Amino acid sequence: MNEKKQFDLLCESGAISRFRTALKELLIRSELDEKKLHEVTLAVDEALANVARHGYKGEAGRIQVEVADCEDRIEILIRDFGKFFDPTSIPSPELPPSKPGGLGIYFMKTVMDGVVYRRGKKNANELILVKRKQA
Amino acid sequence: MKIHQRQDKGVQIYEVEGEINFHNSPDLRDRLHEAIARREQKILIQLRKVSYIDSSGLATFVEALQKTKKYQGHLVLTELMPAVKSVFEIAKLDGIFSLAGSLESGLNLLRSPG
Repeated sequence: MNEKKQFDLLCESGAISRFRTALKELLIRSELDEKKLHEVTLAVDEALANVARHGYKGEAGRIQVEVADCEDRIEILIRDFGKFFDPTSIPSPELPPSKPGGLGIYFMKTVMDGVVYRRGKKNANELILVKRKQA
Repeated sequence: MKIHQRQDKGVQIYEVEGEINFHNSPDLRDRLHEAIARREQKILIQLRKVSYIDSSGLATFVEALQKTKKYQGHLVLTELMPAVKSVFEIAKLDGIFSLAGSLESGLNLLRSPG
């Protein structure tokens, strides 16, 4: 593994924006190409938006993010302590969408190579996103 | 995110600058809904300075498109950066919206009869 970093943040716009900047810097160091870097950022953003919307319902709850830059892939674990919510259980929306919303989870599944949900310690929601460095 | 608004010969133009995400897309929605409430016939949204958009931003545009269509209005998006365009493509929305590569071609789309 090249690098592993943990972020502790509050689920609010300023903290998430700062985290996104730090994540991009880390992904640039990981030598992901620009397209994949954009896709990972999009997936993480969608995951965090889901935590804000469904897990914490607008409250500034705690989020932990672990980013592991491995030899062949990037692994990102997003942990929150909000309401139980398994995004992988949501069916894919009709495309093109005939109504607004519901696209976030589809984006995650489409741009990432792996999306896994599990229940962590203390009933935390844990979402693991995996992106392979090579196609 | 900043939104600059102007009018050009009957076309309501919104130029958006920055990132469109879960936190600020409600502001964009509110601004577009002002135009929709006035039943503006021709709305053009310039995205040349938008570096990032997530699903909430797309949802905002989908909703605006649906509402303008209800009163036979027209909505055109122009100058999408590659990263933004790829998000539209993932959602298969690139064929649903009227997209133009330049402001001029966007204005032409809105001004052409039919």
